[in-house]
Amino acid sequence: MGPVHHDLAGEPTFEPMIQIDMEVRTFVSAWRHCDYVSTYMARMISQNRSDSVRHSNLFSSAFNELLEVAFRTRHADGELACRVSRHGATDRIELTFPCLPEERQFYQEAVSQVAGFEARERYLNSVSGDLAPSREVVLLELAVDYNATLRVEEADGDAVKLVVDLPLEGLEH
Amino acid sequence: MSPYNLLPRFKAQYDANNQEFSISGVVRPQAIDELGPSLTLLRDAIGRVRGVLYVNVRRLTQMNNAAFHVFSRIIIDACRARPELKFVVITSSVVGWTSRKFGRLSGIEPNITVEEYDSQFYPGQGFLEEGGFVPILRTQTKMTWRHERAILRRHGMRPGIVMADICCGIGDFAVLVQKEFQPSRIVALDHSISSLNYARRVMREFDIRGIEYTYGDASEMLLDEAQFDLVTCRHSLQIFNRPELILKELYRICKPGGRVYITNEKNSHCLGEPRAESIGWTYNEVAKLFGYFEMDVELGPKSRRYLIEAGFEDIRVETFMVTNLDGDPQDFADVIEAWANVYAGEMAARRGDGPEFVARFRQGFQDHIFAALHPKGYAGWPIWVASGRRPQ
Repeated sequence: MGPVHHDLAGEPTFEPMIQIDMEVRTFVSAWRHCDYVSTYMARMISQNRSDSVRHSNLFSSAFNELLEVAFRTRHADGELACRVSRHGATDRIELTFPCLPEERQFYQEAVSQVAGFEARERYLNSVSGDLAPSREVVLLELAVDYNATLRVEEADGDAVKLVVDLPLEGLEH
Repeated sequence: MSPYNLLPRFKAQYDANNQEFSISGVVRPQAIDELGPSLTLLRDAIGRVRGVLYVNVRRLTQMNNAAFHVFSRIIIDACRARPELKFVVITSSVVGWTSRKFGRLSGIEPNITVEEYDSQFYPGQGFLEEGGFVPILRTQTKMTWRHERAILRRHGMRPGIVMADICCGIGDFAVLVQKEFQPSRIVALDHSISSLNYARRVMREFDIRGIEYTYGDASEMLLDEAQFDLVTCRHSLQIFNRPELILKELYRICKPGGRVYITNEKNSHCLGEPRAESIGWTYNEVAKLFGYFEMDVELGPKSRRYLIEAGFEDIRVETFMVTNLDGDPQDFADVIEAWANVYAGEMAARRGDGPEFVARFRQGFQDHIFAALHPKGYAGWPIWVASGRRPQ
């Protein structure tokens, strides 16, 4: 594990690993792009993890859910940017994609709910009650099953940036 | 349409005999309609069974939340409609997310239990992988390496290849290979977390690079198919109760034109002079003892048949004998002592052997040690090496 860097604000510095950008129009032209991108990036960034195969499987599983969320954006112009960076045992996904203002509001609310105490309970209620998972529940599941922490950051123009920290290296067998 | 689209990405089936619904592969649908036949199969299965329905997700590599929700809902609804029905979801510890995700279901419905499968597959491995066996495994590898470093070249080993060492144990073979042959990449897989932890510690301490240690079940690996030039699996088929399942996986991950290399023993052929008779008797009993635990330590000469039946071609078989004349005879004696402690100790006790048998059994090992350390003695441990090429 490399040295720990901190920037002036005290936030640890995440070293960039890989970034894939594509036109949203291209991305949403085929559902399998979620699977392609998540699988490819998972393999690329997992090579130097202590268990590369297991890490890749977990990372792909979590990242695919995020991409499926982005796939459902209602704003079809602009760019999708997927960036992965690393700090020690944590991998950070920054997923930027165009969305309508009301969607951005939705993500902000959804992410604030994820941090709530009853996250696990709400997730279980959804599994037993909903016919299909909402985008909020998908984000909730990342926190419940992968110990992810999520936040929404400002992005330029009509876009939203989801920042998800995944401590998969420390996830128990 | 690209070839990607033509591949079946997942498979669902129902086994009425075992009341088991299984789903495997990558299940990432955009719409639930894509799962129609599989959902119908699950509903039908639920409609037919009594008592327990097993839901096998051991080989479920990926499943998105959309699919997970719909399958879970069917199971949860069935629990509510038929309280007498139990569900047992069988996950694999190898596929990291399955136990966590499916494990939540038992918190929703008490009639759903979730079990990790893997440990049942290795009836005897526990004898060999835990405790103080590590130094002996290292010594064994040191002794066999003297022979294998020359032999491996005849079975596809060369610099720059991509290789996998399946059932790598404590990883010492992978390290020796890395130093001697410099493959471009080694993936080393084992099912023992303690062995892998040991291997990783060695890798860190000695700053070894180029080896990826990974946790996995050799009979159901997460590794992609056709990616390795050489796949090695040493001293392991003989301790699995169904070696053909492992070979099928070794074949799958090997590139067409690549080779699979296996080593195995025929324990009853361990020998020594003096005291040959006592030694011979004991090692015949070793073979029977392993047989009792569904392990075939006589597998060595059967390697050719196994490789042919698994579909390999250009099969090459050879043998070598590790002896007390290779290096330090005390190393040989230490290995036999460790065998005696496990075989005439825990394993014999587990089988229920009486003290008279155990005393005679142990004597053969002592005589083998005697032969190894005797100034005029000779002690041997024969190994069968075999490899086959996956057809192009």
